[in-house]
Amino acid sequence: MSHLLVTNLHKQFAGKPPTTAIDQLSFEIEEGEFVVLLGPSGCGKTTTLRCLAGLEKADAGTITLGGRTWFDSARRVALPPEKRNIGMVFQSYALWPHMTVRRNIGYPLRARRKKGQDAARWVEEAAALVGCQNLLDRYPAQLSGGQQQRVSLARSLVSRPDLILFDEPLSNLDAKLREDVRAQLHELHRRLRFTAVFVTHDQSEALALAERVAVMREGRFEQIGTPHEVFEHPATEYVADFIGLSVRLEATRTDGITRLAGVAADGRLPAPVRHGEFVLRARPDDLRIGPTAPALPTMTTVPVSIVDKVFGGRTIDVYVRLGEQRVHARIPVDDTYGWVRGLRAGDEVVLGFRPENVRAYASDGAAIVPDEALSPLGS
Amino acid sequence: MAVSTVTSSTPTGRLLTFTGRRIAAVAFVLPLAYLVLAPIFWLQLEALGDGASAYEAEFGRATMPETLISTAWLACGSLAIAMVLGTLLAWSATLLPPRLRFMRILPIFPMILPLVSQVLGWIFLLSPGPGYLNAVLRRLPWWSGLTGGPVDVYSLPWIVIITGVSLTSFVYLFVSAGFQNINSELIESAHVSGSSGIGVFLRVILPIIRPQLLYGAAVALLIGLGQFTVPLLLGRTNGVRVITTEIFMALYGRQPQDPAAAAAIGSPLLVVGVAVVLIQRFLLGNSSRFVTHGGKGFRPVRRSSVLPAVFIGTYLLLSTVAPLVGLVIVALSPYWTSTVVPDALSLDNFRTLFAEPNLVDAIWTSIWVSFLAVCICLPIGFVASSLLLRAKDMPVLRGVLDVLIALPLGVPAVVFGVGFLLTYSREPFFLYGTNWVILVVYVTIMLPFTTRMHMSGMAALGDAYLEASRVCGAGPLRTNLQIVLPLLRGSVGGAAALMFVLLTHEFTASLLVRSTDVQVMGTILYDTFTNGYYPLVASIALIMTVVTFAGAALALLVGGAGTLEDL
Ligand SMILES: Nc1ncnc2c1ncn2[C@@H]1O[C@H](COP(=O)(O)OP(=O)(O)OP(=O)(O)O)[C@@H](O)[C@H]1O
Ligand SMILES: [Mg+2]
Repeated sequence: MSHLLVTNLHKQFAGKPPTTAIDQLSFEIEEGEFVVLLGPSGCGKTTTLRCLAGLEKADAGTITLGGRTWFDSARRVALPPEKRNIGMVFQSYALWPHMTVRRNIGYPLRARRKKGQDAARWVEEAAALVGCQNLLDRYPAQLSGGQQQRVSLARSLVSRPDLILFDEPLSNLDAKLREDVRAQLHELHRRLRFTAVFVTHDQSEALALAERVAVMREGRFEQIGTPHEVFEHPATEYVADFIGLSVRLEATRTDGITRLAGVAADGRLPAPVRHGEFVLRARPDDLRIGPTAPALPTMTTVPVSIVDKVFGGRTIDVYVRLGEQRVHARIPVDDTYGWVRGLRAGDEVVLGFRPENVRAYASDGAAIVPDEALSPLGS
Repeated sequence: MAVSTVTSSTPTGRLLTFTGRRIAAVAFVLPLAYLVLAPIFWLQLEALGDGASAYEAEFGRATMPETLISTAWLACGSLAIAMVLGTLLAWSATLLPPRLRFMRILPIFPMILPLVSQVLGWIFLLSPGPGYLNAVLRRLPWWSGLTGGPVDVYSLPWIVIITGVSLTSFVYLFVSAGFQNINSELIESAHVSGSSGIGVFLRVILPIIRPQLLYGAAVALLIGLGQFTVPLLLGRTNGVRVITTEIFMALYGRQPQDPAAAAAIGSPLLVVGVAVVLIQRFLLGNSSRFVTHGGKGFRPVRRSSVLPAVFIGTYLLLSTVAPLVGLVIVALSPYWTSTVVPDALSLDNFRTLFAEPNLVDAIWTSIWVSFLAVCICLPIGFVASSLLLRAKDMPVLRGVLDVLIALPLGVPAVVFGVGFLLTYSREPFFLYGTNWVILVVYVTIMLPFTTRMHMSGMAALGDAYLEASRVCGAGPLRTNLQIVLPLLRGSVGGAAALMFVLLTHEFTASLLVRSTDVQVMGTILYDTFTNGYYPLVASIALIMTVVTFAGAALALLVGGAGTLEDL
């Protein structure tokens, strides 16, 4: 049986017009699983998390954990947050400024009436887990952002809750620190196996931490799967866009000629020939350019002209014009570098990609499953 | 460390608890509703009694048009003075050089000085005959021929000016709060775009703080309209009447007392007050939106200069120091004459006063009743603001509570005072003639202050600290006791200071509900004033001032510095 079970959760905010923040959401989370909710701003991630915490009351649906009902609109059950045995890490840390770190971390134990030696030891343990054991007698105002967030993490772990909720906990940290804390969190989860729901709009964070990623869109899950599944096989064009396949090329097949953005292309595409019109999605990193089509063997190619190029350290960002469209390609700095560097605006070149690296979607956004052998252009 | 399931022993919380909360909330609001609405109800019942004949009699009086015109002058004139001075002071405060920044709190001082003391001080300085300042002015060559004047503090223009100067502090508070919310980058970008200092002030800052300006203006207008102390003490001599003094006279200047007339005369003020409260409620929605959040505040780009400091210093001198000096001189003199005889100064007046059990009793009553009222008001304010800010599931109750809480601010104290008198001199709560009536009245008129101060504290606190506590397993009680209250200490201390100060000042409502056995400092002062023994009056006013300052200082110590600024 699943640990956390959510069925038909629905939440609307009054207003003109009313906002549907969660739309008939159902999902399950296994014990010890780390699930990340990923989605753009306003898609309902925080609201979902707050409904799980009991800080927000959903309009309909049920939430149960380990067989215990937390929320059931039909039976009119709604446990308040303090009866749910959860931990939560807030974006703003929410460490109480009038308590020392020790008292902050110990608060969940006091609130749950655990006192004495054991409680004191658990506090020390939790602090040690996040590397804050020497900060215990300071006040939150005397800590750096990263330290505050680690203390906040310790506070959520200390009472060994059934579920830990994270609302964009790393987004107030700078890039370097974010990666440190992220790595630490990953290791902690590997050791402790707590059940976690983690909200973020940063796809690299999601891929790094999650055992399963749920990509949200307007209060629904667009796709839920392992990071690998979501990364390699985005179920819809929306997910593809969000997960980094930002290059969008409209493809048409007429009279045996396949056009990308209106320009005749040469090579194979990951869509069966019966599809006359579809959309290709690709990562800029998977695009290459060359002087001519034969220079890019095994690739599908289309002629383009150079618009601009921007140096980026290990890569070089090249912007090309394909028909009426501007396309971004990120070329690694390797043996073709010298040639790429010599390019000027207006130069005619060829854009290429491996067909197995791009994804095709029908006009309704659903993924098109490619044939075993990728179909050739034309029929 | 495996994740174990620690199930709480309590059974599943049914939504029934929501009804429990609802009942508790209603039980909280009902007594407040009685406190606020019963006086208004009995007032209107009285006014409408006998076929509403009181309206005809009072508003048909030959003196009434002049009374109404004077009232309008008082309200509008003092409003204009207060708006201009208050805004300029707030602006000056932002221009202070860093080492003079403490001067920001100086414009609030007149609020600590009891208004009766201020007015008496002005009488001693500017009364046409023996006023000290007038005596000095008569030494000037062009006024040397005068035997009285040149200033007549008992005239309508000076009543307006003194009211305006005392209202300035309120406007200053609101406008300063507005300045706190301005992002300094807005100002800087205006400067970078080539605006001059004045240009920025007129084109950027004034429009941004318009809400606070409007709110400050509304409050100042209400206070001006309902102003009682200044016209009562100054208007008698030359027969300057305003609505509030007429109300008082209907009760205490006629034989027998005419409560119907008092209620009828008060009706226009009541209507305006209630209207302003309701309009504010419905135009601006929940008053929580009004609450200012502690922002970074802005620093003007202009180089700071001493000019603002001079301006603020002058205001303090004129509004507080000068009247205090007048008070002190008279309090130490055996008689009040236009010349000061240094050798005759002594503490004899105070000795006389403290030998009077009446006065000592009144001081203790003032202190104890104010203290008790503050103690009662603090939890009420805490609960009320929690309900207003967080009880999202009870919109109707919140709306009602919001209006109830605002009414004592909108309805002038003198009108409320008549209502109190009517309410508590009949069953079921016959309190007239006991100290309880003062306590109940004080609690009622402090409702808006305690609630608003708690609300601004709570709003600045935000929700995250509370939510963090709830998800950590703490119930509402523990969350409030261990998280909210300690973090609100500053606001609570500030609220206590403000209320204690306002209550030991209290003059208007006390004067209406006191009886021979129930006196506070303000009422004793008034009696001595009408008996005309000025040195004693001055001494009482000084004692009142000292008590008030002591209370404010104590609360500041408890609540921490910066409390006054939080007001
Ligand atoms: N208290 C509220 N009242 C009204 N609408 C709300 C409220 N809270 C959220 N919403 C709306 O619900 C929708 C989902 O909000 P939510 O905060 O869950 O988004 P999110 O995915 O967390 O976004 P972000 O990444 O920006 O944090 C939004 O359209 C938002 O405007
Ligand atoms: Mg969010």
